[in-house]
Amino acid sequence: MNPKLYTFLWAIATVIFIILSSLAVASLAKLIARWRGKNRLYQSRTFAGYFFASPWIVGYIIFVIGPTLASLYWSFTRFKLPDPPVWVGPQNYIQLLTADDQFRVSILNSLYVTFFGLPLQLATALVLALLLYRRLPGEQAFRMIYYLPVMLAASSAMLITWRLVLNPNNGILNTLIRMIESIFPFLVPVRQGMVWFTEITNAAFIGLQRGNFNLLYQTIAQGLPGPEVMPLWHQSQLWSKPAIIFIGVWSCGTMMMIYLAALCSVPTHLYEAALVDGASGWQRFWRITFPMISPATFYNLVVGIIATLQIFEQSYVLTDNGGPAQSTYFVAYYLWRSTFRFNKIGYGAAMSWILLVLILILTLIQFRLANKWVYYEYEEA
Amino acid sequence: MPRSNRRESFLPRKLRQAFSNGIVYLLLLAGSGFMLFPLFWMLSTSLKTMEEANSPRITWWPAQPQADAYHEVLTDSRWLLYFSNSAFVTTLAVLGTLISVAAVAYAFSRIQWPGRNIVFFLMLSTLMLPYQTTLVPQYVMFNKIGWVGTYNPIVIPGFFAGGALYIFLLRQFMMGLPKELDEAALIDGANYFQIWRHIILPLCKPALATIAVFLFVGNWNALQAPLIYLQRANMYTLPVVIANLINPQVQVQPWPLIMAASALTMIPLVVVFFFTQRYILESVALTGTKG
Repeated sequence: MNPKLYTFLWAIATVIFIILSSLAVASLAKLIARWRGKNRLYQSRTFAGYFFASPWIVGYIIFVIGPTLASLYWSFTRFKLPDPPVWVGPQNYIQLLTADDQFRVSILNSLYVTFFGLPLQLATALVLALLLYRRLPGEQAFRMIYYLPVMLAASSAMLITWRLVLNPNNGILNTLIRMIESIFPFLVPVRQGMVWFTEITNAAFIGLQRGNFNLLYQTIAQGLPGPEVMPLWHQSQLWSKPAIIFIGVWSCGTMMMIYLAALCSVPTHLYEAALVDGASGWQRFWRITFPMISPATFYNLVVGIIATLQIFEQSYVLTDNGGPAQSTYFVAYYLWRSTFRFNKIGYGAAMSWILLVLILILTLIQFRLANKWVYYEYEEA
Repeated sequence: MPRSNRRESFLPRKLRQAFSNGIVYLLLLAGSGFMLFPLFWMLSTSLKTMEEANSPRITWWPAQPQADAYHEVLTDSRWLLYFSNSAFVTTLAVLGTLISVAAVAYAFSRIQWPGRNIVFFLMLSTLMLPYQTTLVPQYVMFNKIGWVGTYNPIVIPGFFAGGALYIFLLRQFMMGLPKELDEAALIDGANYFQIWRHIILPLCKPALATIAVFLFVGNWNALQAPLIYLQRANMYTLPVVIANLINPQVQVQPWPLIMAASALTMIPLVVVFFFTQRYILESVALTGTKG
């Protein structure tokens, strides 16, 4: 049977199933309301509410609650399809947290991109938002251009384009850098310093991550790179994570829009008061703007952490299966690899639970710290 | 920036303003360059010959632009099949998700029913749940019922109002509509379904358009689920095909062809964004301020 026709028929069956199950759930809710002696209006509101909410409620039971509970159970089993799962206790977790070097590398790589990439993304988004906030003519067009990458960033087509753009030899990015340097020659030593800094820090990180510092010694022994040394981007393990961070910064449009909305909501009388008091532009930014938009920073940070910890496409497309030398193994990628390439369902389930706990912990820390630096309007009253 | 209150002579201030605006424009242009240069490079490469694209000497724009690569993609029946696969999966998933999301958002915003707050809280809590937590067990489930190797696992889950963020976004929008609309219609004898279909949905067109675009982008770009569930090459969607275009065994990659296929894949995204950007940019700002 034609696969499209097959799925189309299933889609129709699904719609019928959703309508029937919604009617069932709604009738049940109405029955309970009547049994509790509520009036007619209350009953009809109950029926309508459950009827319209049911697609989500039913989906939640089938696709979230059921699978999540099953996954919790399987995380304590050895499970290779098509064989049934075998209970092994917490062995998967012990293995993951103490013995699996690749998992440790993946977790640390994910944290690297979160801790170094996210601040860069936030800073770029804020700078762009501040530029747009001037409301100069043509602002709408710039806004559009800055947001466009968000639409494309996760696309394989875009990531494969990045492979070409970041090609160290004939890619356009390194060419662009050389071109700018030929106009402003004083930038060459700056670039040398940045190359040196990136390579040393990444070599040190890889050393700490894997307990083997040979790469760091090598990099130090090479000394300051010559002016001809360009970033190697996705082709070197010292540059692959910076390359992914670079792409992340490129697609910071969502964060920028959220900052822009926050900037527009800062009451102007605050700035006027600060001007009367003789505050400089720098002071006004750090004393008024930055605290007033801290809820936006907080939102961007929380959403950003959750998104960064789930990076997958970049490892698969840009760096060709988590390479070079596993330097772009991230949690989501390693999970996908062990579960679906090597059919280790129980192991993958355990990993997804560790990922969930990691996200919960990081978010909780964020909310705890938020009291210290996030300013909410209502506290004023 | 707010106007300065300080009394200064007229001309210097105006000059200073012009100067600082000039600098802001320069920075804005530099930012645009940063955002657009990869797309420019994609376009330029897609119009080159194989030799030009792979030569170590860089040409910004091919001396003789040629559309051979585009021609090759668009006349290849396999590529046309991949396009139609992607279009099929995306259309069905977007439609199913959009309608169900619209229904659920209506329940969360315009109807008072017992348990609403609890269900709403449960829905928001799924925002924290990483995709992978449900991906693994869902695979087992779909494997059990024989759906692996079909489009069903990619399309069907969306029909159950998949996407808590979109429900939340639409609910925020629906909350903003005046309450009297529903009340008047109820008194006139309309039922909840009629109110939803004939009053609320038409008023939500901007929000629905935004969500449709986000769903379109998400489904058109989806890589992880199709990689897992699609097994036969003639069922592949574009992201799966493109992700595997580079053959590490050969030295010279057919970059013009790869870039032409990439450009053709991204054109629908760019076009859709271009026509809906006003709504989208407004909604994105809304998620942050209300969330």
